[in-house]
Amino acid sequence: MIDRRAFLQLGSALAASSMLACDRLPPWLLAQQPAFDDAAFAPPVNAHVDLVSHVIARLSYGARPGEYARVRALGRSQEAAVDAYIREQLAPEALEDAHADAALRQLSMLELPAGELFEFKAPVLLESMTRGTLVRTLLSTRQLHEVMVEFWSDHFNIDSSKGDCRWLKAHDDRVVVRANAMDSFAALLRASALSPAMLWYLDGRVNRRTIAGEKPNENYARELFELHTLGVHGGYTQQDVMEAARALTGWTVRAVGESSFGLGRVEFIPERHDDGEKVILGQRIAAGGGAQDIDRLVEIVCAHPATATHIATKLCRRFIDDDPPADAVRAVADTFRRGGGDIRPTLHTLFSTPDFLASRQRKLKRPLHFVVSALRVTGAVSDAGPALQEYLTRMGHAPFQYPTPDGYPDEASAWTGTLLWRWNFAMALQRNRIHGTQVDLASLERRAGGRRHLAAHVLGRQPTPHEWAAHESTPDTLALLLASPAFQRT
Amino acid sequence: MRNPTSGALTVAPDESQTLVVVFLRGGADGLSLVPPVGDDGYHRARPRLRVTEAAAPSLDERFALHPRLAALHPLYARGEMAVVHAVGSEDTTRSHFEAQDLMEHGGVMGGGWLGRFLRARSATGSRALAAVAFGTALPEAMRGAPAATVLRSLDDFTLGDGGAALTASLAGLYERDGGILAAPARDSLRALERLRSLRGTTYRPQHGATYGADDFSQSLQQVAQLIKSGVGLEAVSVDLGGWDSHFAQGTLIEPLMMRLADGLSAFCADLGPRLATTSIVVMTEFGRRVEENASLGTDHGRASVMLVLGGGVRGGQVYGEWPGLDPGALDGPGDLPVRTNYRDVLAAVLARHGGGRVLDRVFPGHAVRALPL
Repeated sequence: MIDRRAFLQLGSALAASSMLACDRLPPWLLAQQPAFDDAAFAPPVNAHVDLVSHVIARLSYGARPGEYARVRALGRSQEAAVDAYIREQLAPEALEDAHADAALRQLSMLELPAGELFEFKAPVLLESMTRGTLVRTLLSTRQLHEVMVEFWSDHFNIDSSKGDCRWLKAHDDRVVVRANAMDSFAALLRASALSPAMLWYLDGRVNRRTIAGEKPNENYARELFELHTLGVHGGYTQQDVMEAARALTGWTVRAVGESSFGLGRVEFIPERHDDGEKVILGQRIAAGGGAQDIDRLVEIVCAHPATATHIATKLCRRFIDDDPPADAVRAVADTFRRGGGDIRPTLHTLFSTPDFLASRQRKLKRPLHFVVSALRVTGAVSDAGPALQEYLTRMGHAPFQYPTPDGYPDEASAWTGTLLWRWNFAMALQRNRIHGTQVDLASLERRAGGRRHLAAHVLGRQPTPHEWAAHESTPDTLALLLASPAFQRT
Repeated sequence: MRNPTSGALTVAPDESQTLVVVFLRGGADGLSLVPPVGDDGYHRARPRLRVTEAAAPSLDERFALHPRLAALHPLYARGEMAVVHAVGSEDTTRSHFEAQDLMEHGGVMGGGWLGRFLRARSATGSRALAAVAFGTALPEAMRGAPAATVLRSLDDFTLGDGGAALTASLAGLYERDGGILAAPARDSLRALERLRSLRGTTYRPQHGATYGADDFSQSLQQVAQLIKSGVGLEAVSVDLGGWDSHFAQGTLIEPLMMRLADGLSAFCADLGPRLATTSIVVMTEFGRRVEENASLGTDHGRASVMLVLGGGVRGGQVYGEWPGLDPGALDGPGDLPVRTNYRDVLAAVLARHGGGRVLDRVFPGHAVRALPL
């Protein structure tokens, strides 16, 4: 790994280039210094992606140097090792996370209450949020938690460029998505329904009934059924959408240009609420429920069997295959239903299905996963700043910027046009041409025990003879590994 | 382009259409760009800033081009440029930020209109170089695009020195093990090959076109280069800023008008037959107060003009209902009222770029009445 002299050179090189760019070397970059440990590590030795490599690849953003050996050592057999790893990742709160925590201290603005976010310029906030996502996916030991944060960020997508979402999405990311990513689906749904950013994004804030006959705004209610819970063919009707919209009337959020104080505050205004009886999916919400209508609504939609199937299908698509196997979906939906939407046992069931264990290398990494996994496997140090973020924009996968409520697509077909920029990124990374991001190839190769072992580390298996011949014929070994078809898959 | 509605589906990838959006930032004065010299109200309101009928190339009995835009007149005369007057958005804040934001997003909604258009039109994702913005930041209009690049130099596109060895190895790997990535890999390798051939060679504009040395013209030259190289460029954004002319308007915007006109006319000439598959839209966030102010400038107003140039446009006409400049016809503090919604101009252009069926997703909540451009 980088020796002390090289590290200091890196520091001064970054400082020098940063000075040219009129900003300072981010002090928290130094917090990543432990990533510079000089230990040799043992890459996979199998010719095919083995169970340990497979499970790390699906539950995380890629194996940092040494991660494969660490996980393999968690059990006597491969099966025992991945079982322990899955349990570890399902209990993120028990994991030390010092590096990520240290790096995130520079982004404390993201921890501010909703109202105080308005003091920042929107582009500054967006860059910081994106940086926060990159820092966590890169450094956090709670990798499965981060994978689930990405999953729910798409499921409850909010484009941060709409109205006050420019400020409020940071709050939603922290209080709705991150806080609830591994626990109760019902709690996550309820938090999302009353998230100031969601009230903005899907127009809940203007959903009201002040005079008899006034039509509620159905935007959120429709997406609640179609995207967030039952799914488009989940068996709800237009009448259900209208009734749900009625149940949600009266909830609003103080907006820029309308309020001078308390911006971002969520309020229930009884005079704007339709307090009559509602019937949703055949279930009654009695008249006079007021602000409690929303609790009944959440209860009704979460308990509907179509919701379990819809969430299970999406989870299986994310973790198993673009075309989710029916047996796995049934098993996962069953656990979801029996556990009342508890996310951890649901995931545990998923990770225990034969389909999950067998589906090696069947998913195309989305661009965020590709970029972060390239940085993780190479042990790169990065400030996660604008130069890195720009690659995500080029590949059409910048966090918090998907325009429509359905979230970034999960299927491979949506992303096959991004190869050119993946190759460009691989080359730029190997050549250390990404401002604020640095790899030390020589030491990485040394620690892995040579070029061939480095290839096995990056690919999660030994290179095929054909791959090895290609690698021997190019000087840009690392770039070729990262740009190769095998590294695009997980 | 012969068959506008089926364009995106039938043209070969290398012949794909390109939409170039030129945004005049700062609120360009439509009454200077396209002065209504036939309207007495104009001469009354602009006693010192007005252009006279004699000096300005005529567009029709009411409108003329500013003399500094004379280079565009041949395009108009050939029917390759249409003008839309009294056009704008519903924004009444007269704030640059608010008005640009609203116009580029297409309303209070997620993503920009161009980003939504590119996303909605192609179900399978765009190619790497589908959307390019010249400048330093992605314009809001392109937000949400399936692939969007902020371009500083064509070198950004290549893999740099040693790229050739890498691509040779990649070609072999993807051919053997690419799966669904094999075909996109071949496409990307072709694009790289073309970009490599652009590097280091001196670009020679065609058909007698000469580009100026200013950034705007240089950007357009690179756009022409990319279009001709056939790498699948679908949408380009180029900004020309500095139109906020509160003070000494003439000295401020006359050089800009020359840059605009010279750049566009060189670009159109250079493209030659490729102009038929290229559309250029020139837009701004708002126009300016009808009455000139005491410091030979104009203040923030409402409606302005849009220009549409290129393939298939029914040019040689000034479109849009003209409200006239009588004090009673004006909006708020004395501004040209918006009689044509800018979305209805963009809709007409997008329909020619294969977007006819997705306009409800590009401009949700707007009942599109596309101009017959």
